[in-house]
Amino acid sequence: MNNLREYFHTNWAAMTLHDWIGLIITVAAFIGMVWIYARVFNPKNKERYESQRHIPFDEENTDSENEK
Amino acid sequence: MEETKYDFDVVRWFTIMAVVYLVVGTLVGVYIASELAWPALNMDLAELTFGRLRPLHTNAVIFAFGGCALFATSFYAVQRTGNTSLWSPKMAWFTFWGWNLIIVAAVITLPLGITQSKEYAELEWPIDLAIAVVWLSWGFNFIMTIAKRKTSHIYVANWFFMGMFVMITYLHVVNSLAIPVGLFKSYSIFSGVQDAMIQWWWGHNAVGFYLTAGFLGIMYYFVPKQANRPVFSYRLSVLHFWALMFGYVWLGAHHLQYTALPDWTGSLGAAVSLAMIIPSWGGAINGMMTLSGAWDKLRTDYILRFLIMSLAFYAMSTFEGPVMSSKTVNALSHYTDWTIGHVHSGALGWVAMVAAGALYHLVEKLWNTRMYSARLVNFHFWTSTIGTVVYITAMWVSGIMQGLMWRDYDEFGTLTYTFAESVAAMHPYYAMRAIGGMIFWLGGAIMLYNVIMTVRQASAQRSTATARA
Repeated sequence: MNNLREYFHTNWAAMTLHDWIGLIITVAAFIGMVWIYARVFNPKNKERYESQRHIPFDEENTDSENEK
Repeated sequence: MEETKYDFDVVRWFTIMAVVYLVVGTLVGVYIASELAWPALNMDLAELTFGRLRPLHTNAVIFAFGGCALFATSFYAVQRTGNTSLWSPKMAWFTFWGWNLIIVAAVITLPLGITQSKEYAELEWPIDLAIAVVWLSWGFNFIMTIAKRKTSHIYVANWFFMGMFVMITYLHVVNSLAIPVGLFKSYSIFSGVQDAMIQWWWGHNAVGFYLTAGFLGIMYYFVPKQANRPVFSYRLSVLHFWALMFGYVWLGAHHLQYTALPDWTGSLGAAVSLAMIIPSWGGAINGMMTLSGAWDKLRTDYILRFLIMSLAFYAMSTFEGPVMSSKTVNALSHYTDWTIGHVHSGALGWVAMVAAGALYHLVEKLWNTRMYSARLVNFHFWTSTIGTVVYITAMWVSGIMQGLMWRDYDEFGTLTYTFAESVAAMHPYYAMRAIGGMIFWLGGAIMLYNVIMTVRQASAQRSTATARA
């Protein structure tokens, strides 16, 4: 336990502005990813997302461009 | 419904030029690979030496071939999925001519030794400025086309293209910041280890956002279209996108293990690299499982073979890369040919093959015909696959042997082998690599022939139809 405490010890007073910016961005990115995972795997959203699979097949009827 | 009018002329030209640059870029690659095996090919001409031609090879395959493939596929997919035409066809032509002029500038300056000496960013500052302008013209046109789309949702392939645009703009501008001291000479504004860190932040993300995110955009549109089945899981594709965007930017430091860079930075790069296996494999499985229940299509659809085989190489290289980034493996692999093998399993197996599949699909759609010869497509598939495997196997063996020879020492602590002995030991593998490259190049040359004949065939069919009418 002491080893762990020592390992994770942080000298907060020595943190520079860049350290704080980096820390905040890292934590925000982590929270953002958790939020995305929760949103994507929420069963309520399944139909909403999966219905977009068909977009490439919803195009107009022709495969070639029309005359301009 | 109002008829949608697509702008495909510029897409056609980008498609043709992509195939041309595939052949030219890999030809330069085969030549420099041969120089390493048979140095007499230098012919004592500075312009033909490996050091001058290697950046020409990388610029030709990454930016000339890769760029044209990305512009062709993105301009095509954004119109089809948005059910709309390009926001500005004139700006698209500006992108086409601008990009090709930049390639001409690279062909002139790099063999002359005009270089910033930054890997994958060798071109001097005036050309860097031109790249920024032309790149922005593509990205702005792409985003404005999305803005005028007639569909409510932005399909995931377009998200990948946009992610590539945002990140490559940011990376290119920051990495290219330099003080010019003449028209063809400049110095980076960064120095020492900061310069190295910025360089590899760019270097790895050129792979992560240009050669991966952009080509995943290709994969998410062209695999479902060629297979005629929707992507296996749209939710997985959303996760794949965001995990890639959040994750890749952290990885660059793994290129600088055991250097002056702080130790924790390399550890962070390696840790996030290992974590990236999850979204990368999720994406690869998502692409492959799109064929779930229809695997038989691979027997007859040679274009689909390219797309699915590319995903196998994508999965393989996105496993190999993180393993190589870990400090233990990196201690052996760094500075050896193993890295070259890894890069080419991604570049030949993933990037070139997924692009080849997409370009074949495009040629059939854009010229409204079938390929001139399906057998030649199949032949190209096998030359690509075999050429890639021969190349990367040679580099694996040579790289691991190099690493082991360099670190071996006797009971007195003296190195067992001289550097020259390790170079001599590489010769058979360098020859084997050149042969693998030649096999791969042959496939590209066959593709160019097949595409030219297909276009001519389509023109002839149109003339006949017009005459009958």
